[in-house]
Amino acid sequence: MTERNGDGARRKAAIACAAALLALLVAAGRPEKLPGRARLLRHYATRPLAVRRLGSSSSAFDRRFFFFLESARLKLPPGTRGVAVFAPPSEQARNVVAYQFAPLPALVAPPTVPGGWVAAIYGPVRPAGWRHVADVSDGALMTPP
Amino acid sequence: MSADALGGALLATAAVVAAAWAAGAAACAALVPRGRRAERIGWGFAAGTAILAAGTGAAYSAALGSPAIGPILLAAVAAGLGRRFALGDDPVGTLRGPGGRLAAVTAALAAVALYGLIVYAARALAEPLWPNDYFAIWGMKAKTFFAERAIPLRLFTWPSFEFSNPGYPLGLPLLYAGIASILGRWEDHALALLFPCWLAATLAVLYGWLRRRGAPPTVAAAAGAAVACFAPLYAAPLTGMAEAPLAFALLLLGTALADAMDETDPGARRRLALAAAVAAGTKNEGLFVAGIAALLLAAAAFVGRDRAAARRAALALIVPAVACALLHRLAVGSHPVRGIDLAYLKRPDLGDRLAEALRATWTVHLRSSWLPIAACLVLLLAGRSVAHGNRLLLLGGLGAATYLFLPALCPYGPLWLVTWTQGRNFASLAPLLAAAVAARLAALPRGGAAPLSATAGVVT
Repeated sequence: MTERNGDGARRKAAIACAAALLALLVAAGRPEKLPGRARLLRHYATRPLAVRRLGSSSSAFDRRFFFFLESARLKLPPGTRGVAVFAPPSEQARNVVAYQFAPLPALVAPPTVPGGWVAAIYGPVRPAGWRHVADVSDGALMTPP
Repeated sequence: MSADALGGALLATAAVVAAAWAAGAAACAALVPRGRRAERIGWGFAAGTAILAAGTGAAYSAALGSPAIGPILLAAVAAGLGRRFALGDDPVGTLRGPGGRLAAVTAALAAVALYGLIVYAARALAEPLWPNDYFAIWGMKAKTFFAERAIPLRLFTWPSFEFSNPGYPLGLPLLYAGIASILGRWEDHALALLFPCWLAATLAVLYGWLRRRGAPPTVAAAAGAAVACFAPLYAAPLTGMAEAPLAFALLLLGTALADAMDETDPGARRRLALAAAVAAGTKNEGLFVAGIAALLLAAAAFVGRDRAAARRAALALIVPAVACALLHRLAVGSHPVRGIDLAYLKRPDLGDRLAEALRATWTVHLRSSWLPIAACLVLLLAGRSVAHGNRLLLLGGLGAATYLFLPALCPYGPLWLVTWTQGRNFASLAPLLAAAVAARLAALPRGGAAPLSATAGVVT
């Protein structure tokens, strides 16, 4: 390959642009956040997974709700075939509920509670006539009549 | 300290990943020529994770008592095949590093790449995997597979679980489930360790491929530094999702495609076959880009200079990609892709929707990033046309052009797809396009008649 007219200028432009691009990319990576992440990691590293999850971004939209879900999960009666969570519906709640109870199928506020499923009621209101299964943090486990 | 603290889980996960990586590297003796250490490391990770995922899927299908048996058996077979079909030395020969001032620049760029890797590791490992789509799609499926030691059909047939995108490939959930099966527990914080490994493997393949194709160490290290610091892809909100693995798979696909078309070495078509399987098994976009690669090969088979090479490469690409897609359909059925409806192609307002999509792309993604995009364009134009670089550029460019157009087909409106998906899709093309730009820059002569690539000291 031979040197053509303008190759020197191309080379200089490439070096200048590459340096500028690299500086932009490094700055966009928000290096100032690094110590905070390291502190977060150090703080939670010795805790159980559920506590680490409770302190993480995934539960930031409603940490009490996450605590309720974990409490409900631990108190599910044996043989439960699915969980219907009655809580304010949102995409985040739907996804966290589906993941938290997996492998059990779990839905937020389904129109009916299928047979063998347990309802996890978030908040103080209890549906009339439903059977109480267990109290959980910020809610209760119940089954419909 | 709690019995299930992060440290122990991380060590255990690291041991599983390292074992898979080592098995993959052993298999790579049949894929990457001897002496190409960086590429063997990168491809070894691809092969190792593929072994874990495919072995776990096979164990579920065969209803083996312990799903961990699948990856172990497959690793043994892959290592045996690697030994049996081991490649010799690379025909390119030995690559010398730079001397003097350039060596210092290369070392500085390598330090920047290492910094990017460390920052990403800190982002990824700071907390348990948490993105919304991780919960809804990748994590939920993986956690269910692990707990049930099977792929339960209800996840894919139940209308209430439509939000989990039943049509998405299962490579990533099977990989997560495979690691959990070997560990014997679900630890979705330690699983984040995979993500900096994906970046490390991406950098290894990028650097190794550029060097093998004649790029000087400075150019190859600069490309690696840029990719390692590319925060839109290696971001905390994408950790747990398929973008970083897809970006790796697309780089594998592009580099192997260029090598197979040039028949650089006897392992090129084998690499292409593995890359096609990994891309198709990771995300629908991977299958789609493999389709673009197949079209490029088809065009080369009809009008290219080496038509026979293109035909052989097409076969190596298409068979594993189609097999992957068919296996998915056989296992869990066929499902429409959410967010895209091809019926919109026939609508009279398609032009208006496309204009809306382009406006939204500009507003949401491009306007705020015009400066780095302009820098990339200058770098692209500053380089010289070189066949292997142009192939990568064509593959990535056609992918990007399609991502620009697809929002026009979104039933929820173009803005929806632009906001939630398009930026991630663009970002996952970054390593592939970085390789293309670097290959073109490496073709610039460096004073006199010597091309930049000559400074690499290629000895044949």
